[in-house]
Amino acid sequence: MASSRPNKIRPIRKPIMNKETSEFEPCWEILKSALTDIHNKNASRLSFENLYRASYKIVLRKKGQLLYERVKAFEEEWFRDHVLPPIAELVSGNLVSIALLQMPGSSPHERRQTGERFLRGIRSTWEDHNMSMNMVADILMYLERSYTAESRQPSIFAATIGLFRDHILRNNLGGPSEQLDQPFVIFDIVNAVVLDLVNMERDGDIIDRNLLRQITSMLEALYETDDELENAKLYLTVFEPRFLSASQAFYKTECEKLLREGNASAWLRHTQRRLREEQDRCDTSLSILTADKIAKVIEQELIVAKLNDFLAMEGSGMKSMVDNDRHEDLSILYQLISRVDKNALKTILQSRVMDLGLEIEQALKSTDFSTPGAGAEAEDAAEGGEKTKVQPLSAAAQQTATAIKWVDDVLQLKDKFDNLSTTCFNQDIVLQSAVTKSFSEFINIFKRSSEFVSLFIDDSLKRGLRGKSDEDVEVVLQKAIILLRYLADRDMFERYYQKHLARRLLHSKSEIHIEKELVRRMRAELGNHFTAKFEGMFKDMELSKDLSENYRDHVRNLGDADTKNIDLGIHVLTTNNWPPDVMGRGVIQEDGGRADCTFPPAIKRLQESFFKYYLRDRSGRVLTWVASAGSADVKCVFPKVPGKESGPLSKERRYELNVSTYGMIVLDLFNDVANGESLSFEEIQAKTNIPAQDLVRTMGSLSIPPKSRVLVKEPLSKNVKTTDKFSFNAQFVSKTIKIKAPVISGTSKVEDSEERKETERKNDQTRAHVVDAAVVRIMKQRKELTHTQLTTEVIGQLAGRFKPEISMIKKRIEDLLVREYLERIDGETAAYRYLA
Amino acid sequence: MADSKYITLVSDGGFEFVVLREAALVSPTIKGMLRSQFSEAQTGRCEFPEINATVLEKVVEYFYYWYRNRDKEDVPDMDIPVEMCLELLMAADYFNLDAKPALRNMA
Repeated sequence: MASSRPNKIRPIRKPIMNKETSEFEPCWEILKSALTDIHNKNASRLSFENLYRASYKIVLRKKGQLLYERVKAFEEEWFRDHVLPPIAELVSGNLVSIALLQMPGSSPHERRQTGERFLRGIRSTWEDHNMSMNMVADILMYLERSYTAESRQPSIFAATIGLFRDHILRNNLGGPSEQLDQPFVIFDIVNAVVLDLVNMERDGDIIDRNLLRQITSMLEALYETDDELENAKLYLTVFEPRFLSASQAFYKTECEKLLREGNASAWLRHTQRRLREEQDRCDTSLSILTADKIAKVIEQELIVAKLNDFLAMEGSGMKSMVDNDRHEDLSILYQLISRVDKNALKTILQSRVMDLGLEIEQALKSTDFSTPGAGAEAEDAAEGGEKTKVQPLSAAAQQTATAIKWVDDVLQLKDKFDNLSTTCFNQDIVLQSAVTKSFSEFINIFKRSSEFVSLFIDDSLKRGLRGKSDEDVEVVLQKAIILLRYLADRDMFERYYQKHLARRLLHSKSEIHIEKELVRRMRAELGNHFTAKFEGMFKDMELSKDLSENYRDHVRNLGDADTKNIDLGIHVLTTNNWPPDVMGRGVIQEDGGRADCTFPPAIKRLQESFFKYYLRDRSGRVLTWVASAGSADVKCVFPKVPGKESGPLSKERRYELNVSTYGMIVLDLFNDVANGESLSFEEIQAKTNIPAQDLVRTMGSLSIPPKSRVLVKEPLSKNVKTTDKFSFNAQFVSKTIKIKAPVISGTSKVEDSEERKETERKNDQTRAHVVDAAVVRIMKQRKELTHTQLTTEVIGQLAGRFKPEISMIKKRIEDLLVREYLERIDGETAAYRYLA
Repeated sequence: MADSKYITLVSDGGFEFVVLREAALVSPTIKGMLRSQFSEAQTGRCEFPEINATVLEKVVEYFYYWYRNRDKEDVPDMDIPVEMCLELLMAADYFNLDAKPALRNMA
């Protein structure tokens, strides 16, 4: 046609344009024989250029369409005549029955042999076809490029490679066989054989993985249609769904089997192994496209389906894993569960923490029962109206030990779960916070946790830390803070800690820098307002130290003779910072008046002198002397006992007695009592005005323990009664010069239930004020709020300090209504308005 | 022979051009030729009996032009004699080179 246009510039020599249509047939003959050679693997003697040129010419002649169809027809014919017959032969009746009917009686070995032979046949056919089609596509490159692309047909490669799909995989071999009532195609057999082989491998057989891989790559190279859409690979559309559903069935059965065996540990390992195997299978035998999907199947069937059953298994389930520290099991469990949903693990962990926590409390109770002696004695004492005397010391110590045991157990439990978290749970945040929540829960269910924690700190700081390394101290501090974090009723803890801290400070029982460090950490953890009082206490201590020294200098400068033998160390305590019972306010409340004891004249003078000195810089202040909190070193002289010429009694003995302030006052009385005479309890009380309870304690410490028995009690019993008489023990001997009379108030102990009630009552009073303040603060800002809103806000504001009870909030609101801080809003059921 | 660094291109009239294989592979046609199991792949000798030597020489020149400049930018145009344009266009089509931007300039 180009020749019909004379004005077109034509190349000089163009032989291919000359012969027109007549050239198609010769060219096609060349190609046709080449196709046959290619299929017969005789291509090496052909010239590519020759063939390429042939197709090139045909296309230039605009005969592309014809060539396309001829090639396709040729391939179809080739397929029918040369490829199918051997395949059909492979599909023997035996294979069909084995693959599709799961015929019983066929051994796995036999099945494998038949199956693999069939797959090999398919594979070699495919390889031949694939290679041939690639070569055909190469020589027809010009056709592909110029004709197929322009005419929007599937490429010749796609069309010819697709023949394999249409003529082999989708071949039904002439209709349903007599053994099978439903129609089937060869593809079904391929799938069935592959799946059967996979299952064999799962059961431990060795199979030809390479073969599987080649079969699946074939399926990956073939598409549903000649358009070759990426997501329409036969592998994805046909094989994979069948593989997944077969796997699902397989693992479902397996899961039930494992459940029957009843060993969670075996289940964990098995599941882990299966996951690895399937991943491996996807890498080597199937396609990585399936890896995630098959993992999902296992997750669903082996992990999620019966998770709770496995975890609850007696003897090997979660409980046993946690209790016996089976870290490996737990690690695997965590790995498996993190693949799916961590909630089940979380719930079980939480309930385990709760149970173990409550067990600690339970164990505590039984410990109490196991020492009935101490318990009974304490009871007796309480009945007799004498609360604290000499013998119950052991009971008190026992209880303190209980508290410390509780704390230790809790810390141990905490360690255990921390350990689990690091070694097994990859420090999973969700699990950590869940466990923490449970800890906090059971600790707060236990009513005495605040007290016990404070006691634990008290005990550790008092006894434990002397001579210990910084690391040990650090451990204790950390433990203390950990426990503190869990406490919800922090105001209760504050109350106890204040009390215990006061004792430690006043009696110099602990090291101040450690105390300060601990409080500093509390502040970091809980905020300024929590530690304000403690810091105030430290400040008082420091100021007092300076004050004492300055006063000493002052006295020395005065050269005042009055104070010749008395060295005063004073603690000036700011009332608000120190616990009321240390400040002696508790006593005031009980007696309804000031319970000042009568100090000896020498001490009185000293007090006056100090007060004068104190007021020089600070006029207007009031000092109250709190005798119950102090101590004194008293130098005593025991004269030679007449009639004794040898032994320690024959000499004059000088001792330095360390007693409480009350003890000092009492001893001073005996300076004026002649040898052999005695003072009755009532006389002493009348002269000193020491509260009966404290006096009982003081007299006990001076007259009962042999080491500090400087007074003789009549009668010689182990309890101090109000009817007892006391006299100077002239025969007192001690091996040491310095003697410490045990001061009972110096040991911190667990409160008995009455004291506990008292503490709770006081605490509730404080809470009431705090709630009042919170309500007013909120209302002042918000002006109007409903009852529910207000309650929520109050709880929110106080969360850092304690969990207020709803009933208490309600009561406080009512109280504020009465006091006209608030008023109800008319017309609304429960809403309030702030009254300025 | 199949993996030799050089291949031989033969034109009408038996003129031989020994070309760097890598350079010649720019043409998908030659690439396909050397990839398959055909005789060219075995011998490394590609005969083009219907392309005359002048045209093939220019094609080879282009192969090297492309090879030298394959990673560069702002490459100067190749010198194409006007009288050869049509034949070269045909050859480019034959060698499947028309998709290359550089050749579009040439055409």
